[in-house]
Amino acid sequence: MLLVIFILCAVFGQTLVARSLNDLNFERQNILDDEFEMQVGGRLRLTDDEVTANEILMQWKRLEVSQAFNNPQYSNFSRHYFTYKHHIDKSNVYQIIRKMPKGAALHVHSTLMLSTDRVMELTYEDHLYACFANTELHLQFSTTVPIRPCPVEWRLLSELRNESSDVTSFDTELRKYFSLFTNDEHITNGDINYTWDRFNKICRTLKYLISYRPVREKHFYAGLKEFYDDNIRYIEVRSGLTKLYELNGTEHDSTYLAHLFDRVSKKFKEDHPDFCGIKLIVTRWRGINMEQMQEVIDVARKVKKELPDLFAGFDLVGQEDKGKPLKDFLPLLAAQDDLQYFFHGGETNWFGTSTDENLVDAILLGSNRIGHGYALIKHPALMAAVKQRDIAIEVNVISNAVLSLVSDVRNHPLAAYLALGLPVIISSDDPGVWEADPLSHDYYVTFTRVASKKTDLRLLKQLAINSIRYSALDDEGKTSMFKLFHKNWLEFIQNVKADKRLTDTVY
Amino acid sequence: MCALIVIFLVAVLVTVESHDEYESALFQRTQLLERGLNMMLGNDLELSDAEEQVNEYIMELKRDEVDFGFSHPQHFNYSKHFFDYKDEVQHTQLFKIIKQMPKGALLHAHDTGMLSPEYVMTLTYLENLYVCFEEETVKFLFARELPTSDCSTQWQLMRDARYSSGNVEKFDENLKKYFTLVIDDHSDIYTDINIVWKQFQDYFIRTTDLFTYEPVWEQYFYDTLKALREDNVMYLEIRSVLPGLYDLDGNVYDEMETLASYKRVIDRFSKDYPDFFGAKIIFAPLRSVQPETVKEYLQKAKIMKREYAGIFAGFDLVGQEDLGRPTKDFLKELITEAEDIDFFFHAGETNWYGTSSDENLVDAIVLNARRIGHAFALIKHPVLLEEVKKRNIAIEANVISNVVLKLVEDMRNHPLASFIAQGLPVVLASDDPGIWGADPLSLDFFVTFVGVASRHADLRLLKKLALNSLYYSTYSNKDKIVHEFDIRWARFIHNIQTNHL
Repeated sequence: MLLVIFILCAVFGQTLVARSLNDLNFERQNILDDEFEMQVGGRLRLTDDEVTANEILMQWKRLEVSQAFNNPQYSNFSRHYFTYKHHIDKSNVYQIIRKMPKGAALHVHSTLMLSTDRVMELTYEDHLYACFANTELHLQFSTTVPIRPCPVEWRLLSELRNESSDVTSFDTELRKYFSLFTNDEHITNGDINYTWDRFNKICRTLKYLISYRPVREKHFYAGLKEFYDDNIRYIEVRSGLTKLYELNGTEHDSTYLAHLFDRVSKKFKEDHPDFCGIKLIVTRWRGINMEQMQEVIDVARKVKKELPDLFAGFDLVGQEDKGKPLKDFLPLLAAQDDLQYFFHGGETNWFGTSTDENLVDAILLGSNRIGHGYALIKHPALMAAVKQRDIAIEVNVISNAVLSLVSDVRNHPLAAYLALGLPVIISSDDPGVWEADPLSHDYYVTFTRVASKKTDLRLLKQLAINSIRYSALDDEGKTSMFKLFHKNWLEFIQNVKADKRLTDTVY
Repeated sequence: MCALIVIFLVAVLVTVESHDEYESALFQRTQLLERGLNMMLGNDLELSDAEEQVNEYIMELKRDEVDFGFSHPQHFNYSKHFFDYKDEVQHTQLFKIIKQMPKGALLHAHDTGMLSPEYVMTLTYLENLYVCFEEETVKFLFARELPTSDCSTQWQLMRDARYSSGNVEKFDENLKKYFTLVIDDHSDIYTDINIVWKQFQDYFIRTTDLFTYEPVWEQYFYDTLKALREDNVMYLEIRSVLPGLYDLDGNVYDEMETLASYKRVIDRFSKDYPDFFGAKIIFAPLRSVQPETVKEYLQKAKIMKREYAGIFAGFDLVGQEDLGRPTKDFLKELITEAEDIDFFFHAGETNWYGTSSDENLVDAIVLNARRIGHAFALIKHPVLLEEVKKRNIAIEANVISNVVLKLVEDMRNHPLASFIAQGLPVVLASDDPGIWGADPLSLDFFVTFVGVASRHADLRLLKKLALNSLYYSTYSNKDKIVHEFDIRWARFIHNIQTNHL
């Protein structure tokens, strides 16, 4: 007996002293499994069909990532979005994502949601006057020459276009006033203020174009259509509710645009019965004073009263570093108890400044979700609070690359948010301005470049689920959206399985 | 009257209430921000009154620079490439203070990448040096007579080549380019990570025969220690592939002799500068090899540890992680020796995620590495991050290296910001400062302080980073070295007080 114990002890003692390769591999695998499970989507269980579709998807993803990993000289993984944007549609991973039901888009600015191609079509509308002043383009719809001063000369855009020797090159030049896209690396490498100046200029020109009521209707309808075609079934749009005008010069009041959104989206839903509609987040530029803040809160409250189903909440917009911090408005914002907040917070790479500390205020003010949250990664206590209070982060990865926060998206903090299993949704901010898909490009970049090489269909599905879960829909709205989503998802899985081009041998 | 009082009271109460709401929001705000700041590396340190004074002064300097950058991002240096600002910042008051600051130990550096191209140029003036200029590179060899080894053009005495060139200045200017990565048009030339790594590795290849001539080897290392001491570093742990050394007679020695040579230099230097705490060697051969070779490495490492216990710190593998073999391939060999040999693995020096290079982090951790080199990718691995904390494995961050070797462009996006915010065990190091024209350690401290860490991070962070470098070193007598550090720190604080306040 003693001998047995002795032997056992010896054997046991030995294993204690030296860890075997097996122990090591076991420990290694445990850690990797724990991490996989912790990440966004890690706990989803896939059906057999989903497993098959996932294998197809992952085969292409692994191929794509490995090629870039092995040949960084031919890959543009580390480069600016504009250098690879035109190659995205060659990717089979992208083709799958494009068809995937994506649920909702929750962080989108209404002015900037429509593709430049469609915006260009709107410049063919009648009665459009243009004034090319220095580097800025002013536009106005009018039956007669606009009375608004123009430093150069107001001309009908149709006349200028017809007078030009080459309409194509005229439109190519015109297009630059509506799009940030460029191949010029000196421009894309500019500092954040330079980029935002370009961006703000485009926003102004677009606003001139779409402040005309009939064009705004077309613009919004076309925007909804593009999002719908990208397999999005519900949108929460942010809008500053610019005042619209008619051809005869009549100006509508500040809630008119909210009614227009409501009307157009209802019309769209009539034409597309499986569209679930929109909600509105009323926004204002963050540079305003306290008095103006009170005014816009009153406007928001008015919209809420007049259109309770449409209204979701309130937000402040514009370059965070240059605007006022939320803290300045704390007394006023903390006093409102009937408005939901959806604040932008931490869209910055500064650390310990007024801008990244907007995150604290967004959380304390009970923001329902946080726009961007780029700087959150540097604030462990806030990250814990976000997780504990289940505040969703609206991540817009292409936006952050284009607007000069990060040049290599592999360094985007979203990778860590996904790994930590934070409540994340993916959105696109202003896809029209950088000529991205309504949402598919952001999903694609997230899936292939930001997330782990091993992250699979579960992430994509969870992100879509999150977009419904963290929306401002009521329980009933969410339930019916989930129903629709699951139906579309099943179809999508069947389509992936059946697509011959995807299942033909991967080389 | 009574009614009036009631009205008055109600009015007071109402204003108090809305005032209270604001106050309570502000209070919560401060609390939440403080909770965050309390987690930051260094928050556990209490500053003395003298340190507080100095802290106020350096924070003023720091905030000036950060706030100017905040309103003028086009002029903020640390969002740009290191080459674009490295000379300029060395004139700032804050840099000069950090230069004077005792920085403890340097724990992550490679032996032949420590000194400036100007220094390497002086070596090319030594006697008996032959040179062979080839199309894209240059070879060196110290010898008594014309070398017979491979040269696609012809070997000639360096002296002859230089003085027959017609323009010595121009000749030297061109030659110097082989000893540095620094160029003006870096963004046009270093277009991807492999291109800059190729240049980087070519430097090591072409300088090997220049440095492994035994007298040069010892001189280079002696001067490295001297440069560190002048940069207010008191102790060094250096990684070396331990290349074979040679002499003029054509004798070639093995890695044990290289280690012996290191020992001689360390002893000599310690005698010449008794205030320096010496150096240890981490044997770090190339990772792009077969498992059998790693097994041989480890056998050698065991002998080294036995014969040079005083200066042998442990083992590591080097080379571009994305291209080399993953640590996983060597698990079997490494686990066998894990009891005997301390590991200091490079791991996660990559911005890939879920790839073999990224998962080197798991292996470093399950192999119980004492420290991890770089761990740039750790931020994407929450479970590993917890393990690092739990097992108290130090992260050796090399922020300038990561910019030069193209992992990150804007310093503000470096994950070190989060590591510091979470209070992870971090030490700062410089990797190969000579090759990118940095000083031995001060610039890495400076850039971290102003460009990476929070605007609120103060003297406590700097002191903690210095203390960590002692704490996570393998120096045997921690009390002694920390005691000496405290003395020097007090002196540093006193000097700043006297000269600046």
